[in-house]
Amino acid sequence: MKRLAAREISLEGRPGAFAGSLMNSSADLVSRACRGDQEAFRLIFERYSRPVISFIYDQVSDRELAEELMQETFVRAFRSLKTLRSETKLSTWLFGIAKNVARESLRARIRQNQHVDLDDQQVLDLSDRGPVPVSQLLNKELNEVVQRALALLDEDKRLVFTLKVFQQCSYEEIAEITGFSIPKLKTDLHRARTEMRQRVGQYVRA
Amino acid sequence: MKCDDFLNLLEAYVDGEVGEHESERVRTHLMTCSSCETEFEALTAESELYARYDRELQISPAAWNGISARIATDSSAVEPRERRDMRGWFAGLFAVPRLGFAFSGALAVLLAMFVVGYLYFRAQPNQRLLVAGAKDVRPGSSPISVQPQRSVTNSGEVTNPENPPPDQSTVAASGKEPRRPRAIPDDPGVLFTDAAYTDMEDRDTASHLDQAQKLLVSFRSLPADDEQEIDVSYEKTESRRLLNENVVMRRDAEATGKFPTKSVLGSLEPFLIDIANLPDKAPASDVRQIKDRVQRSEIVAELRSY
Repeated sequence: MKRLAAREISLEGRPGAFAGSLMNSSADLVSRACRGDQEAFRLIFERYSRPVISFIYDQVSDRELAEELMQETFVRAFRSLKTLRSETKLSTWLFGIAKNVARESLRARIRQNQHVDLDDQQVLDLSDRGPVPVSQLLNKELNEVVQRALALLDEDKRLVFTLKVFQQCSYEEIAEITGFSIPKLKTDLHRARTEMRQRVGQYVRA
Repeated sequence: MKCDDFLNLLEAYVDGEVGEHESERVRTHLMTCSSCETEFEALTAESELYARYDRELQISPAAWNGISARIATDSSAVEPRERRDMRGWFAGLFAVPRLGFAFSGALAVLLAMFVVGYLYFRAQPNQRLLVAGAKDVRPGSSPISVQPQRSVTNSGEVTNPENPPPDQSTVAASGKEPRRPRAIPDDPGVLFTDAAYTDMEDRDTASHLDQAQKLLVSFRSLPADDEQEIDVSYEKTESRRLLNENVVMRRDAEATGKFPTKSVLGSLEPFLIDIANLPDKAPASDVRQIKDRVQRSEIVAELRSY
């Protein structure tokens, strides 16, 4: 039963017929937006704003900043819509812009000597209360555990992990978004999974 | 296939990144390998956990309003291409160029060379004038300009150069190209053509005569009482140098009507010729002969009185 569920999850990442129809629709919206149709661009925003803001939030771990950077992402997207190649998937293109925006923000925060990573002790403190079964773990606590574990990953691993696990991007799409080679992103993904397992695995096994 | 190979493949299988053939092999292996089955269970459970991850993000309506406002600003900022191009072209006329490091360095070196050159020539104005005058040097003529004896006004009237018509430039009557007028700061409005050059010419002549006088005094002091040969190599060399100058100056003095100068140079010249034609080891009789002539002619006194 679990195996079946896993297959269903994995299938979400595969570009299928439904995804294709979405892509055609996105192409139409892009075409209209390029001609200055703001309503078409608003539809693009409604369709992709949630995955984009989620992806940015996973990188910066700050809600207000994530919304601000999402706006910046869509403004930049509008300005460079005409550079979007027809063979590029709109979501991939948007994630690419979002990645750049988030990285710029992270660089700026690092320059301001603000520590982005959370202290390991915070995670340890949380785990000191003892493992709690996933079924009993409150959603809020689960979110905190995952979010803190994510924040402890290094930038490249976090990028690849979130694009694969949360945004269901294919390896090719991740390579296009990040500019990494497939072997590198596979390695980063494997190491990210291993690190994440060390931090959240006890909640899974319990 | 070993379990290690399957474990590497397992993540790709969970990610949906393997083909149908590979997927079938993984499924077959999982049914027979408990350790790989355990790993697969763990990956699946983690995927379920991550699927439950809710960031609790709310997208406020203000988000789109902010984007819309910024997009509208961009749209209103769009101008007709031609107008933008014209404005860009016009702005480019006054734009400060972006200089690369190499170009900036070359510019700095050129500027430094210009400043050094300017300071050098400013510190040596006389040399600069000599260099300028040297352009007119021709065989048999002085590098210093020729002062015309008569000038012709613009109306064609012949006038005396000592009393030129006021506020009128003089034109060389000798047919030579007129020299560019030079303003004298002490007397603005009055133009002179050769004043500075004439001064220089006088100074050069005076210096020449002074050197010649010293040479003759030196020659006159040579010991020529016995019949031994006398070493006059220095006097000979010096005399040849002065002779060349003397010929040129004498001709210039004649051309410019400086007859007293021409006269003294003309008196000096035979002595210079005689000394210049002596052998390095001159016979005492020849030296005495020249010394006697110098004494008799009182050329040294004439040179001193010039």
